[in-house]
Amino acid sequence: MHELAIAQSIIDAVTTRATECHATRVKGVRLCIGEASGIVIDSLTFSFAALASLDPLLAGAQLFIDVVPHRARCRCCAGEFAVTNFVAQCPVCATWDTEVISGTELQILEMEIETSGKDE
Amino acid sequence: MPKVTIAQNILAANETVAAEIRQVLAAHGLRAINLMSSPGAGKTTLLERTIARLRGQLAIGVVEGDVETSADAARIEAAGAETVQINTRGACHLEAHMIRAALQQLDLRRIDLLVIENIGNLVCPAAWDLGEDVRVTIVSTTEGDDKPAKYPQMFAVSQVMVINKLDLLPYVDYDLEQVKRQALAINPHLRIFAVSCRTGAGLDAWCEWLLAFSRQEEGKQ
Repeated sequence: MHELAIAQSIIDAVTTRATECHATRVKGVRLCIGEASGIVIDSLTFSFAALASLDPLLAGAQLFIDVVPHRARCRCCAGEFAVTNFVAQCPVCATWDTEVISGTELQILEMEIETSGKDE
Repeated sequence: MPKVTIAQNILAANETVAAEIRQVLAAHGLRAINLMSSPGAGKTTLLERTIARLRGQLAIGVVEGDVETSADAARIEAAGAETVQINTRGACHLEAHMIRAALQQLDLRRIDLLVIENIGNLVCPAAWDLGEDVRVTIVSTTEGDDKPAKYPQMFAVSQVMVINKLDLLPYVDYDLEQVKRQALAINPHLRIFAVSCRTGAGLDAWCEWLLAFSRQEEGKQ
């Protein structure tokens, strides 16, 4: 249920940036969300749409989400592998001496905006 | 239609406030713990017992998070610690700005350690940095022995796990070793304490660690 709070954080950040850019409308927002970030994408999309609809600047804005797989690198064999259920054990060496290299992202990448007509 | 790069963490605003809290605590030479668990695992009881055991050695200040009521703050105050209650009125986790506001009401010069008791929830609190040094997750023997595997993110972001209600082991189907194995598979660096707040078993080791941690003799990992 914390997706609502995450959606509000996105809207706050986007609104600040859009205001700086003198945007009249935000058409879309692109996010990068790691598989292991604990975010339910459907809930986030729903929450974002619900909150965006309350604000003329953001109403109808599309959310685009790049999902990043949870991956780790073994410190022994330097091999990279997919992490399943948060267990980052190297499938080759069976060691836990590994480091997560992706999957915890929670980023706003960019937004698409309209400005007062001349940039379209 | 122009595209504008933002490239910022979604929770950047929260992290800025968490960094401010860290500075304030560091200025007072204080360390902080973020105590998390599902509802009923024993966060408040562990705190009560800890405060009582360390009375005279460690002055603990508590920020108590609950959805509603100040019942837990009353319990903690009765145990002898300075307490500020936060009621989130429905929100499922604490955020850094709530802690910043709560700290205004605590006399940081009079405490040796700050404990933040999060909302009972094994999912949402994991995402919010509250300016703590260490995250402690409590599980209990009545919850089932599959919690680390089912809620892995919480154990991945914690440095310490406390297994509570050891006294009930004879009455429940709970495989203590399995819980430890699951948790360590997710987080091999996790420090584990097994305790019973009811009988006091294991609390000496926990309190010793906490004391050393608050005196900065123990690392954050």
